[in-house]
Amino acid sequence: MEKLSGFREKDYLEQVTLLYEIDKAKDTAALPELMDLFMNPTRDQAVDRMVVNALHAILATSPQATIEGLASPHPGVRTLCVQVSGESRFPEATPALLKLIETETDQDFVYEVLTALSRIKTPEGLPSFRKHMTSEEPYISTLCVSMLGTYKDAESVPALVAMLNDSDSDTRYEQCDLSTWEVVKALAAIGTDEALASITAKLRHRNPTVRRIITDCLTAMGERPIPFLAQAFAQKAADTAAVDQQTLAANVLGFIGHKKGADVLVAAIDRGVVEHANVKYAVYEALGRIGSMKGVICLMDGLDESDELILMAVVTALDRHVNPGILKNLTGRLAARGPVADQLARAVASARALNIFTGLYADPAMAEILVNAVCLSKDPVVVEAFREALSALGTDQAKAHAAKLPDVTAKAGAKKAIAADDSKSMLALYRNILTDLGVTPLTATNGQEAVDHLDQGEVPDLVITDMNMPVMDGMELTNKIRSTPGLEAVPIIMVTTESEGSQREMAAKAGVTDFLTKPFKPAQLAELVRKYLG
Amino acid sequence: MDVELAKPFIKAVVDVLSMMAFITPKAERPYVKKGNVATGDVTGLVGLTGSKVGSVSISFDKACAIAIVKNMLGDDIQDIMQDVKDAVGEITNMVSGQARAGLSEMGISMQGSTPTVIIGDNHTIAHVTNAPIMAIPFTTEAGNFTIEFCFE
Repeated sequence: MEKLSGFREKDYLEQVTLLYEIDKAKDTAALPELMDLFMNPTRDQAVDRMVVNALHAILATSPQATIEGLASPHPGVRTLCVQVSGESRFPEATPALLKLIETETDQDFVYEVLTALSRIKTPEGLPSFRKHMTSEEPYISTLCVSMLGTYKDAESVPALVAMLNDSDSDTRYEQCDLSTWEVVKALAAIGTDEALASITAKLRHRNPTVRRIITDCLTAMGERPIPFLAQAFAQKAADTAAVDQQTLAANVLGFIGHKKGADVLVAAIDRGVVEHANVKYAVYEALGRIGSMKGVICLMDGLDESDELILMAVVTALDRHVNPGILKNLTGRLAARGPVADQLARAVASARALNIFTGLYADPAMAEILVNAVCLSKDPVVVEAFREALSALGTDQAKAHAAKLPDVTAKAGAKKAIAADDSKSMLALYRNILTDLGVTPLTATNGQEAVDHLDQGEVPDLVITDMNMPVMDGMELTNKIRSTPGLEAVPIIMVTTESEGSQREMAAKAGVTDFLTKPFKPAQLAELVRKYLG
Repeated sequence: MDVELAKPFIKAVVDVLSMMAFITPKAERPYVKKGNVATGDVTGLVGLTGSKVGSVSISFDKACAIAIVKNMLGDDIQDIMQDVKDAVGEITNMVSGQARAGLSEMGISMQGSTPTVIIGDNHTIAHVTNAPIMAIPFTTEAGNFTIEFCFE
């Protein structure tokens, strides 16, 4: 190739022009001289960069030359050819690439080769991903695990399950490794019964991030994991671990939102397997999300619940699916009067079940009962919501009722508490308890929304937070509050279903002041609020 | 997982900080966090579009950010806040540029936005997408920083 003769003596502009032309023409004949320039660079960064680019362009058109380069004694040439093989997806380069890492010890180079193999994706590459999946180098193991998912390699399931179990061990659970994320995704992608059973079994993973990843993966799979989630309801929960498993499985079934999930939950209730208050709460909340006919009938039976928290979950769920049958059932219960009916009316008010309210309002007796229940609320948000609903109705009766509602405004100088929970009915309960105690509630459906309150200059006297929430969980919120100047000592109460000590240990380390385990009676929380607010 | 995106960024941040600020960072074990917020005292954030869409942030603790400014400007510090902002913006920009050059060698072409710099003790900022975040902590003799990736 004459074009490149005397290249080093040419001036910059000539060099650049020449390399540009070779790059564009993808002139294979220039390869030997370009390789020489690559191995003995000019030391002008821009020119050397263009040499690399030209080599990339030419090698991309020549698998043979690239494969020959893989055997070059020059390490730079080998790396370049590894990259080109991957980028150009040369399947014929697979044997040479595999040979390169047979005995290689430089982990960066192994990573380069595996990356190339991951792009080429020939079946011959699979064993190398199996071999390196447990590499100490996090990027290598993550890449390999991810590829085993791409190959849907059922043979790797036992090894992946072992990695998932290891990530929950005492020494590892505090941090979610990159590879753990991929292990969950790979098992979901492989999707064999064994894979799904093992992910479902790890719903109670001690690391909240892994737990969320598992929940998200199962939710995204739709109908497929439902039989595996159903196993949690095979029998009554014998211990706290089984209670947690049932609670979490019910949550996921709700997120999936498939009718078959509702069938599982309804069957569990019919068989008397749903006993614990946490499980009941989660099951009703899930049935509200799914909204199948069977589920709604089951929710109507749930109106018999006497636990205030569970009743709120039932009312919140029914409010999403209001139909004439639900309204008739509620009318019957409310018309019976007495303490049980009063509790139900208060639940409709506290849960801000406006669809139920509007549906029942046409009946004057029901209107009276419900408006009276709203009048008992000390929560400005609750009262305002019903005032708006009444003004939207626009009838004379509604106007009169709107005028009857108390004028509840937050007292100046009242103490403030932030309450963060992703469950609508839990938030309604917190509002209820706090306003009853004369505390102004600031609610948030996740940690980030709680932080938004702080950013807007709110200084809470107390924080009540759930552990597991989307966007920002309770642990991160606690860290954040503790490192905010002025909030180092604000009491933080964490409300959680976790019965395992490890989660609490992590939370206590993060700076949580006190814990309240679900299920709890509203009086228990009220007592804690009084304890910390005096 | 976009683990293949991480390597060019690690290389870029090590190169840029050692060349521009004479600080040699050491990458620690990467981890995943759920929730789309980055926490730090000074953060440079770049939005990326192209083959993939997402954002990359570099969050420095105060000591590390100040050490970078001092090393870059010497004693010629006029307004520490403004200088920290400029320096972190510039570093983020260089890291984004160099990393994108590395990625384009791998056939991943991306465009980067102008960096945004946020200053405030232990602030939080939101990443563009809702996917889990890959975080890579770094230690230096002057303080610590974290790179976070979040891609759709």
